[in-house]
Amino acid sequence: MRFLKTYLTFVISSFSILCFSQSIDSVWVEKKSSNLSLSYISTLIYPGGRLGVELPVNTIYITKISKSGKEKNFTKDCFVTANLSWYHHPAFHDNVYLSAGWTMRRTKSNGFLTEFSPEIGLSRTFLGGTTYQIDDNGNVSIKKCAGYYYTLVSVGGGIGYDFSKTKREPFSIFSKFNVLMMLPYNSTIYLRPVVEIGLIYKPFDFLSLNVKSKSRKK
Amino acid sequence: MKDIIPFIILFFVLVSCQKEKITVGTNVSETFYLDNNGASMRLLVEGNTASKTFLIFVHGGPGSSSYFYNTDYISQNIENKYAAVYWDQRNAGGSQGNSNGDHLNLPQMTEDLKKVIQLIKYRYGQDSGIFLLGHSFGGLLSASFVTKDDNQSMVKGWIFADGSHNYPLNDTLTRQMLLTVGQQQIALNRNADSWKTIVEYCNAHTGNFTFEESDQLFDFADAAETYFEVVKEIDLATLIDYDPIQYGWPVTSILFNLNYSSNASFNRDLAITEFSSKLGVVTTPTLLLYGKYDFICPGGLEEDVFNRINTQDKKIVISPISGHNIMLQDEAFFCKEVNAFIESHQ
Repeated sequence: MRFLKTYLTFVISSFSILCFSQSIDSVWVEKKSSNLSLSYISTLIYPGGRLGVELPVNTIYITKISKSGKEKNFTKDCFVTANLSWYHHPAFHDNVYLSAGWTMRRTKSNGFLTEFSPEIGLSRTFLGGTTYQIDDNGNVSIKKCAGYYYTLVSVGGGIGYDFSKTKREPFSIFSKFNVLMMLPYNSTIYLRPVVEIGLIYKPFDFLSLNVKSKSRKK
Repeated sequence: MKDIIPFIILFFVLVSCQKEKITVGTNVSETFYLDNNGASMRLLVEGNTASKTFLIFVHGGPGSSSYFYNTDYISQNIENKYAAVYWDQRNAGGSQGNSNGDHLNLPQMTEDLKKVIQLIKYRYGQDSGIFLLGHSFGGLLSASFVTKDDNQSMVKGWIFADGSHNYPLNDTLTRQMLLTVGQQQIALNRNADSWKTIVEYCNAHTGNFTFEESDQLFDFADAAETYFEVVKEIDLATLIDYDPIQYGWPVTSILFNLNYSSNASFNRDLAITEFSSKLGVVTTPTLLLYGKYDFICPGGLEEDVFNRINTQDKKIVISPISGHNIMLQDEAFFCKEVNAFIESHQ
């Protein structure tokens, strides 16, 4: 019986520690501008580009206090993104795709950032050469803008540096690795790894939205 | 300005995809597509289009790709004289489409091949001379083509390289060759352990092969040629040597297409397909090539074609050092024979 008492005390106190370890100190609404992003995308030697807008959804300002009492500050942002991308693979296809995503970004007070972003979208390819059709009588015609629509899913993660944290410049640079998946591609899937290097511009007031922000101490 | 950049990009994409470029020259390289029944099939024409002679590679698989045949050696020794046509069949290589698996069957692919020839003649002139080269599964497809209707009148010659025109006979010959060679190799104590497994399997499976048995025989046959040092091994390193990045191979498309097509249900139909009984209609000049160490499509298949086609203009030759990929494993022999055949039937 004594053992059970000690055990229950231990379990309850452990839970209470867990519960309070991520206490939210305050919640408020702030007006935040949306960001614009521009990047170069590439699969090995095949070039492409990407334009996007990031609409802020929420921000959490976190302060972490280590055992030595030192404070570490970082920010977690979530954005809904819309992107228009294109790449050129000579003699294979050009691919223009529109995607919407959810970006989770964590930025340290020294400006370093990491992010993860799943996306879903629609792709339209344009075949990399003149495309012909031949009817049953042998008559040949050129099919204009031949290509296919595909459902597109993309997952990417990357690192970067936010100049607004240290130099008060309204932009970040980043590098990301994405994997694109298109389907149905010849009744199966098509995968394409894409490396992205780009710039995020943070205008003072562009498509500003009221965003729920939280401050949290750990 | 930012708002119009995507539209500028889109405009150039849309405009550029409509350009038709037809080059007549001695060192041509151009890609175009044939759209037919749910598939846009890639065609790469390289070499001497001014010769008005075109060698169409009908690749193996199903689901392999014509990229693998486009070697430097063939460029330097065939394309300098004639034009090579590297055709990616539907659901293979750089060919593209949506949900088109329902059209993946031999009659459809035979129609595709006919349209490929019509397209080559449309682009480079109706007087263009066409030679078909069927390798492995391409042997079955080209056999299907030349035995259908009056199709053979569209070609000047048929080259059958390590091909198969009769899958049930293929299985029988593969088993026979594995068994005979295997017993010899065991007696010579060369790779005896591996051969024992193969021989045991062949002794236990004697005929009327199921699809699964056929698959197993293929796996044994694929491995068997690697037991002979004289045969150049074709592996991943060989393919990397091709420098796929420089030549713009859509690597993931090639891999996913290969995986899909080689496992597609129509392979079960192919397993019972044969054209031996129809070869009597073939009057087209024919060159038959095979490797001595080809266990996948043994030489007995070429001999069957040789005996059944209805032409005196036929030749059968054996490479003493190659396995299933004669164009890669005995390049000099392959190019010499192919060039001599085309030269005499242009």
